[in-house]
Amino acid sequence: MSVIIDSSNIINSYIPVAVFLVVSLLMPPATMAMVKLLSPRSKSPNKYATYECGSDPLGDARIQFNVEYYLYAIAFVVFDIEVLFLYPWAMVYIGNGVDMVTAIVEMLIFIFVMLFGYAYLWKKGALKWMN
Amino acid sequence: MADLMLLAPEITLLVTGLTVLLLGLFLSAHSKKILGYIATLGCLVAFVLTLNSFGTTAVMFSNSLSIDALSQFFKLVFLTVAILVSIASIKYTDGNDHADEYYVLVLFATIGMMMVASANDLMVLFVAFELASLATYALAGFEKKNPASIEAAMKYFMIGSLSAALLLLGIGYVYGATGTTNIPEVAQNIGLLASSPMGILSLVLLIAGFGFKIALVPFHMWAPDTYQGAPSVVSALLAAGSKKMGFVAAFKVFITGLIALQADWQMAFAILAVITMTYGNIVALSQTSVKRMLAYSSLAQAGYISMAFVVMTPMALTGGILYALSHGFMKAGAFIATAAVVYMATSENKDILKADHLDSFKGLGKRMPITALCLTVFVLALAGIPPTAGFMSKFVLFSSTIESGLVWLAVIAILNSAVSLYYYARVVRYMYAMPAEGERISEPAPYVVALLLAVAGVLAIGLWPEPFVNMAMEAANVLIPGGM
Repeated sequence: MSVIIDSSNIINSYIPVAVFLVVSLLMPPATMAMVKLLSPRSKSPNKYATYECGSDPLGDARIQFNVEYYLYAIAFVVFDIEVLFLYPWAMVYIGNGVDMVTAIVEMLIFIFVMLFGYAYLWKKGALKWMN
Repeated sequence: MADLMLLAPEITLLVTGLTVLLLGLFLSAHSKKILGYIATLGCLVAFVLTLNSFGTTAVMFSNSLSIDALSQFFKLVFLTVAILVSIASIKYTDGNDHADEYYVLVLFATIGMMMVASANDLMVLFVAFELASLATYALAGFEKKNPASIEAAMKYFMIGSLSAALLLLGIGYVYGATGTTNIPEVAQNIGLLASSPMGILSLVLLIAGFGFKIALVPFHMWAPDTYQGAPSVVSALLAAGSKKMGFVAAFKVFITGLIALQADWQMAFAILAVITMTYGNIVALSQTSVKRMLAYSSLAQAGYISMAFVVMTPMALTGGILYALSHGFMKAGAFIATAAVVYMATSENKDILKADHLDSFKGLGKRMPITALCLTVFVLALAGIPPTAGFMSKFVLFSSTIESGLVWLAVIAILNSAVSLYYYARVVRYMYAMPAEGERISEPAPYVVALLLAVAGVLAIGLWPEPFVNMAMEAANVLIPGGM
């Protein structure tokens, strides 16, 4: 057991984390207390208005987002993950006795399968904004 | 390349799935019926390919996949269910513009289940588990205008995600202690896991993770709502297919990988099996929705199959594995029969809220004679009446339990079977002893074909069990080598 996990070592390696934890717990209250003590104060109704980039606030804050944002996000994640797969592929096949042709063919098969998803999205109009 | 042929069933399903996906884009809703036939054909080809290579043993892709009798037996179970579901769905998705997505999801879910069956590595197992889960989450919510279906999908998704997280954490602990995710190598390094508290922790997490999928009792909360709310044909896939995926995964991980911790998980499974079968049967007694009743009965059946983990003799495992196949036929058949009744009830009254209420089954023997007869066979088989598959698998399982000296467990299981007869027989009484409330209607051909196939399976295992028992024995032999 001790060969694989030396618990004393693990605990020691977490000391920086503990320091970070303590500091991050103390920082916010300390800053706020400092601001409270040092900052000048003035009251006016404009101060309590909602801040919207400096201009006068306009409309309701609770609006519905178009669902197409999410469709875009999902499609993005799918293809992002495809790229993520390409990276280990590029690294793992080097020097592991797999010849180049096999490696390329295997990745082409993977991309070919992904292509169906792309064709599906395209034809279904998921890539069209506001239909 | 030669051993790539062993993956031919999965590749066939994948190609079929992609074909259906692409074809669906260019077909009108009216002509999408053909996709159902394509999907069924794909499953049939995969079934024949699997059956042809039954008994071959091989390890592929740097030990991450293993092809053996166990994996192939369960692949046959999943493909059987997929064939039944695809045939029945030809009617269910008739005229639906999303039929292509439906079939693609069914096919991909089946691929996921099949990959779980042949996974030899915990990570492959997890990814395949998730492939099947994600596809079935979407399927459960297929009727997106129906609040019950959305509720079913939502509950299934939430609880399924939680269980996936627990499962992954359990795998993480196993990896942390043994330094490998390969299941046979885990078994070699098991001493490291057994000697640390991580062992028990990972066991608990793994049992919870698989227990959710199998719907063992403390983890069953999603099952009745999901089976009731999801479209009946999807419930068939969930109860008959996806549940077995949990079993084959548990068989592999616990019996092949964590056999050294046997004493611990055997105790857990003994308690869970008894609670599950008793709770399932008692709650099923008072259900008026047939789908919900079938959901609770499916809990009870999961309890029976879990007995295989407790007894752990080769014969008991044979019984458990055979039970998985029989349950696939019986439960898929029962849910498809319910789908036919729901179809009838909704075609008569579009706004009906509880189409699967027992009242819809009144006089079914006169209104839909084939469906009623088939459903009678299925419920009697579920109750364990000879000469059906249910009797045969219960016989093997319970007698092996008695042989190994666990008489108390066998007694509880047999008492449970007796209790279950009440609610199964009630359905039969509604169908034959109650007056019909309408005319005889013509039964949709796809449902009839699927039902007759399932009845043929149930009766074949019951009347001529030898080949099935032998196949199950070979599968059990993979788990406990040299046990025969």
